[in-house]
Amino acid sequence: MNAATAPRTARPRRPPRSVIGPLALLVFAAITWWAASEDFGLNFDVPRLFTNLTRGAGILAEFWPPDFSVLPRTVDPLLETIQMAIIASAIGCAVALPVAFLASRVTSPNLVAYIVDRSVLSVVRSLPDVLYALIFVAALSIGPLPGILALILFNISVVAKLLSETVDGVDQGPIEAARATGANRLLTVRWAVLPQVLPNYVAYSLYAFELNIRASAVLGIVGAGGIGNLINETRRFFQYDKLMVVVIEILILVIIVEWISIWLRRKLV
Amino acid sequence: MGPPLRYPPMIRFINASVTYPGGVHALKNVTLEIPDGQMMVIVGLSGAGKSTLIRAINGLVPLSDGDVTIDDVSVRSAKPKELREIRSRIGMIFQTFNLVNRTTVLNNVLMGRLHDAGTLRSLLAWYKPEDVEIAMQALERVGIVEKAYVRASNLSGGQQQRVGIARALAQEPTIILADEPVASLDPPTSHVVMRDLQRINRELNMTTVINLHFLDLAKVYGERIIGMRAGELVYDGTGDQADENVFRDIYGRSLTADDMLGEAAAAG
Repeated sequence: MNAATAPRTARPRRPPRSVIGPLALLVFAAITWWAASEDFGLNFDVPRLFTNLTRGAGILAEFWPPDFSVLPRTVDPLLETIQMAIIASAIGCAVALPVAFLASRVTSPNLVAYIVDRSVLSVVRSLPDVLYALIFVAALSIGPLPGILALILFNISVVAKLLSETVDGVDQGPIEAARATGANRLLTVRWAVLPQVLPNYVAYSLYAFELNIRASAVLGIVGAGGIGNLINETRRFFQYDKLMVVVIEILILVIIVEWISIWLRRKLV
Repeated sequence: MGPPLRYPPMIRFINASVTYPGGVHALKNVTLEIPDGQMMVIVGLSGAGKSTLIRAINGLVPLSDGDVTIDDVSVRSAKPKELREIRSRIGMIFQTFNLVNRTTVLNNVLMGRLHDAGTLRSLLAWYKPEDVEIAMQALERVGIVEKAYVRASNLSGGQQQRVGIARALAQEPTIILADEPVASLDPPTSHVVMRDLQRINRELNMTTVINLHFLDLAKVYGERIIGMRAGELVYDGTGDQADENVFRDIYGRSLTADDMLGEAAAAG
C-alpha cells in the first residue's frame, strides 16, 4: 500500500505549546542574575575570580611539596575517622530502617505515625551535620562522641529518606499476597517489602558510610574528633605542606572506600 | 437456581454490596452460597466485579453493605485479629503470581506459614522444622519441590504460578481463591495449572473459587459457574448447562474466538 495515496483518517490537532518551560527558564535566569549582580547581589565577577586566584598562587605553592614527616601523626586520627564512620553508620542505618518504613505510605501502619515520622525527619534533615556537631561539642565537650552523634543523626535522615522513597515504589502484589495469608503488618513488611528493597538499603548504607568519612574532615574542625582535628591544627600554624599530606590521605581513603562499596554493591544486588 | 448443595454452605454472601471511593458499584446486592468442597468458577467481562467478589470473601475489599460469612462468622464485622485468623484459612492465588522475585521459592511459600509461625521467629527467618516441612510438602504437591532454593525470578511463568499455589497450600487452608490464575500463562500451561487446582480441590476437598475469562476453561473445570455483569449475579448453574446462549447473556454480546482459550491446547 502506498502511504501517500492511502486513505487517511483525520489526524488530531496539535495542542498549543506550553509556555511554562521557557517561562521557568527565564525566571531561573533572572534569579541567578539577581544573586550575582553588582547592585542587588554578591557582585560575583568571573574575571576577578581569576586575578584573585593568581594572587593566591603564593599560598597554594606552599602546599607543595607535601611534608611527609607528619605521616606517623596522622595514623591515629585517620583510624579514629574510620571508626567513627563505622559506629555512626551501624547505628544510624539500623535506626533508619524502621524509620523509613514508617515514612512510606505503603508500609506505615496509620496516617498519624506517617505524618509524625515524616515531620521529625524533615526537622532533623533541615540542619547540616556540622551544626549538629557544634551543638554536641558544646553539650558534651570535644572528642569523637559528639562527632559520632552528629553522624548518626545525619545517617538516619539520609538513609530513611532515600529508603522510604524506594519503599513507595515497591511492587505491591506481594504485600497483597502476604495480607491474604493472614500475616500481620510487621511480618508483611519483613517478607513482602524488605526483600524488595534490601539491595537499595545496602547501597544507601554504604553511601552514608562514604559521606561519613568525608564529613569527618569538617567535623574535626569544630572539635568533633577524627582527621579534621589535624587539618585544623596544621592550618592554624600555616603548615600547608603538612596539610597537603592529610588532604592526600583523605583523598586516597575516600577512593578506597568507594571501590569497596562499588564491589560490595555489585555482589549484593 | 443452581445445582443442589452437597454440603452445608461454607461461604455465604448476604445482600453484599461494594461501592468504591469514587462511586463505582462493583458489587450490587449479591446473595450467594458456596458449599464445602465446591469448585466454582466466576465468569464475566473485565469490570463486571469478579475480582471484587473474590476479594470480599477474605476481606481484602471491604463491603459497603450486607455481609459475607465464612462458617457463619462475619467477615465484615471481624476485628483486625479475627480478620487475620479468617484469612489464614483462605489461600489466595493471583493473576500476576505476586511472588517476591528477589528471594527463594521456599521463602515465598513460607509466607503461607507466617500466620502461625510466631512473629519473632518469622522476623529472624528462624522457622520451625515443621513449618519448613509443610512448605516443602506444598511444593511437592505442585511438583516443583526441587526448586525450593532457586530465586523465584528464575522460574518460568507456569512454575511461578505453582509457587503461588504452594504458598496458598502452605497455609493449610479450607478455601482457595484464585483471581484469574491463568491469564498470564500460555494455553498449555494454563491447563497444567487448572488441573493442579482441580486435583487439589478433589484430593483435599478444598472449596475453590476461581475467576476466569476463558469460557471453555470455565466449562471444563467449573463444577458450578456463576455469571456476573455490572456487579450483579446474572447466572448460576452447572458447567453443562452453560451453553453459548448463557454466555452471550452474561457477556451482553455475541461470543468471539477471543473468549476461548482454544480447542487444540485443551488436549495438551
